[in-house]
Amino acid sequence: MLSIVAAICLLTTQAPGPALPSLTPRDSAFHALNRLAYGARPGEADSVAKVGVMRWIEQQLDADHIPDSHLAAREREFKILDYDRGDLAGRYRDAVRERQRMQREAAASGDTMRMRGAEPMREFRELGGELQQLAVVRAALSERQLREVMIDFWTNHFNVFVGKGADRFLLPSYIEETIRPRALGRFEDLLIATAHSPAMLFYLDNAQSVAPGSSPPPRRPPPMFGPFGRPRFGMGNPFGRPRFGTNDMNREERRRRQPTGINENYARELMELHTLGVDGGYTQQDVINVARIFTGWSIEPPERGSGFVFHDWAHDDGDKIVLGQVFKGDGEGEGMRLLKFLANQHATMHHVSAKLCARFVADDPPDGCVDAAVAAWQKTRGDIRAVLRAIFTSPDFWAPQAVQTKVKTPFEFVVSAVRATGVEPDSTPRLAQMVARLGEPLYQQPAPTGYAETEAHWVNSGALLARMNAAVALAKECSSIPATDDHTQLVDAIDQKLLAGTMSAHTRSVILEQLADITDPVQARALAVGLALGGPDFQKQ
Amino acid sequence: MTISRRIFVKSGGLALVSLGLDPLFLARAAFAAHRPIGPSVRPVLVCLFQRGAVDGLNMIVPHGESAYYEERPRIAVPAADVVDLDGHFGLHPSLAPLKELWDNKSLAAIHAIGSPDATRSHFDAQDYMESGTPGVKSTGDGWMNRYCQHDREHADTPFRAVAFGPQLPRILAGSAPSLAIDDLQAFGLRVPEAAARDRLTRAFEELYDGAGTGLLASSSREGFEAVQMLKRADPTQYRPDAGADYPPGRLGKTLLQIAQLIKADVGLEMAFADCSGWDTHVNQGSSEGQLSARLRELGLALAAFNRDLGDRMRNIVVLTMSEFGRTIRENGNSGTDHGHATAMLALGGPVNGGRVLGRWPGLRREQRFEGRDVAVTTDFRDLFGEILARHMGAADLSTVFPGYTPSPAQFLGAIRG
Repeated sequence: MLSIVAAICLLTTQAPGPALPSLTPRDSAFHALNRLAYGARPGEADSVAKVGVMRWIEQQLDADHIPDSHLAAREREFKILDYDRGDLAGRYRDAVRERQRMQREAAASGDTMRMRGAEPMREFRELGGELQQLAVVRAALSERQLREVMIDFWTNHFNVFVGKGADRFLLPSYIEETIRPRALGRFEDLLIATAHSPAMLFYLDNAQSVAPGSSPPPRRPPPMFGPFGRPRFGMGNPFGRPRFGTNDMNREERRRRQPTGINENYARELMELHTLGVDGGYTQQDVINVARIFTGWSIEPPERGSGFVFHDWAHDDGDKIVLGQVFKGDGEGEGMRLLKFLANQHATMHHVSAKLCARFVADDPPDGCVDAAVAAWQKTRGDIRAVLRAIFTSPDFWAPQAVQTKVKTPFEFVVSAVRATGVEPDSTPRLAQMVARLGEPLYQQPAPTGYAETEAHWVNSGALLARMNAAVALAKECSSIPATDDHTQLVDAIDQKLLAGTMSAHTRSVILEQLADITDPVQARALAVGLALGGPDFQKQ
Repeated sequence: MTISRRIFVKSGGLALVSLGLDPLFLARAAFAAHRPIGPSVRPVLVCLFQRGAVDGLNMIVPHGESAYYEERPRIAVPAADVVDLDGHFGLHPSLAPLKELWDNKSLAAIHAIGSPDATRSHFDAQDYMESGTPGVKSTGDGWMNRYCQHDREHADTPFRAVAFGPQLPRILAGSAPSLAIDDLQAFGLRVPEAAARDRLTRAFEELYDGAGTGLLASSSREGFEAVQMLKRADPTQYRPDAGADYPPGRLGKTLLQIAQLIKADVGLEMAFADCSGWDTHVNQGSSEGQLSARLRELGLALAAFNRDLGDRMRNIVVLTMSEFGRTIRENGNSGTDHGHATAMLALGGPVNGGRVLGRWPGLRREQRFEGRDVAVTTDFRDLFGEILARHMGAADLSTVFPGYTPSPAQFLGAIRG
């Protein structure tokens, strides 16, 4: 009862309520913008404070009702959104064939330079770049900021590496159709969707996990690549050499390529990373049994669109026990029951809630906010919005030690700088390449763990120098700060618009000192903005 | 010099911790106070990762094995072309520039080495070789970084562990400081004009100096220290010694930069670089062709590095590694598919060279792994562990390879006793 009253108070008062004693309305707005959004645009801390930070948070949680027409218009520039999975699969297959044709020709003529034949793959490289830049543009421009933050969170939680074989063309639909529509829905639905996604089935090898002794019915066209071809790629050659060649692949080789047993990869990561957590209490036998439950969950060949398919013939029909629970062998249904079971385990609630708190509150989150998140999860059976609301209303979220203490990831750094400087991001891969140079190439984390959230991972001397270079480059385009020869006025404007008035006295004095002998207003602005964005204050959120 | 610094840290460090000062920082400060130092006596390890899985059988050719020729009618290297090493094995002809190093006993080959994990996925196998924990995916850091973690008293230079490339690779990921340098000459703030660059560098340095004692402050200090040290070393003026001629291309450029850093005496101990293009599923070639071209570049680059560093090679070990080997039998496209064990090369003064190390399992069907691939007889951790223990002086390998302690009884004798 009391908590309801408190929530109503928070929702109706303009200024933050008693839960945030040490923050001014503007400071708390800036804090919320740093965590629920990719930083503040010039003046945004004031406008959020005016609406009331708790009301703004509620609006963000109700993302569907926030108009987002500017982003919608910008999204139309990205042709990757015009292709569905089937289109991309077909284009990929054609490109690979074309390259093989070129390689055969080159080999016949002894032209070793042409044998690496990257040209047919150029379109795919460009589409990959588009996909990354689209993520930057959406994060920078969307009015539904919290939703974009959560899309990034889930994409990382359910990481898929775009460089692994068929994931080169499966990833776009994974982002658009699997992750994005469910970012603020129910955890269980998201888990089920990722388990069915061709991208995940390929990435974690479940597509080739079959009951030992099973074999496909005869007269099926031989699989050409994808589910049954082993991923082939070398790091230096991002488009690998998937082999088609049914004509020169003899029967024995085809048989050798046929999977002969279970693959535990997805089963293990499902429990270790997606749900229970590494200390979630499962055993190696549980891993094996989960893998048995998912035998037959696979992918259609590319010529049929590379969609999800359940192969009855590959499924292990025996009964399985996972975490003491019996799962009757009955085909695809037992996998669904297992996913729902895992989604609602206490260990899962705790593991995922702690990860959310690490993202929103602190690298090493206090127990209070994690417990609040778990309680909300339990009450709502995993409604992500309820879990987030519990975190944002927890005292830990608003504690002074949580404010301006988390180091931004490279993606957060670049996007927040773009927002602060008022730069309109273009559709070239330039900004995504900047994120990659800072160490976080989007969708290119090979390990299923995704990228780390912690400061220790992102801060090293090379990375910091790279951030300074990025800051200096971005500062040249800054349009949110008027150029002026009054240096005090200039630094005041930077403090207000880029840092919402939180610039440290030390930063201010160093910047002013550096400006002392510069008379050209545009040059002064570039230097001052570059130092402010590349300096220590702006690395934190 | 090294000893006095260690004593300073060991005796003074604890007392200073009680005053709230970070002993690592003090170690760095102590090091900085004594610069510039003389020629390095530190051991150096340079690792080259042949990404894509090199065909060990065409790199170190078992020309004494009839099965090799039976299984590879189109791509075997003819015995007449092989640079014979010991009557049974020989170098691919493109590696001929390394024969001299074999003869002076500073080059060894290790055959039938690989991972105890059976995966044939590049992605998994590279990951395991870098994390140093085959079969365990949850390992967060890499073994080269863990070596630096457990031996932190040396962490007194930003250049201790350097990866050449735009990102820090998995093998160097972790809590010990390590640098990723894409281009030595461009490391630092990228402002074309020197005076403007110096000014901006000073400004950022000052900004971060006021940022207290956190990781941001210490990392920026290390970064700027590295920039200053590099400036003194002046990489733009570098000329290789003894007429060493690095081949054109990424690998030659990278090894030249590693040589530069070693000669600059900035404290480099662990260097890492990628070397790609080994995934030869199609038209691999034999004495000539695709693989031959890659091996030629590798051989020329290693020979140039050895020549350039001259006397300094007595403290340096260069190790090549690759995630797995390739099928014994050639495939339908005159290439090879993903296999199991492969071969590695170790080069340098400390190497017990002139020998092919490791137990050779043979290529007959019953000797193979899963009936098709070269069997692994040496766990890669035994070789890496031996180099860390006997060359780098690592005291405790159990923290570098969690869940596995390479035992001296398993060591191949790759490093001179």
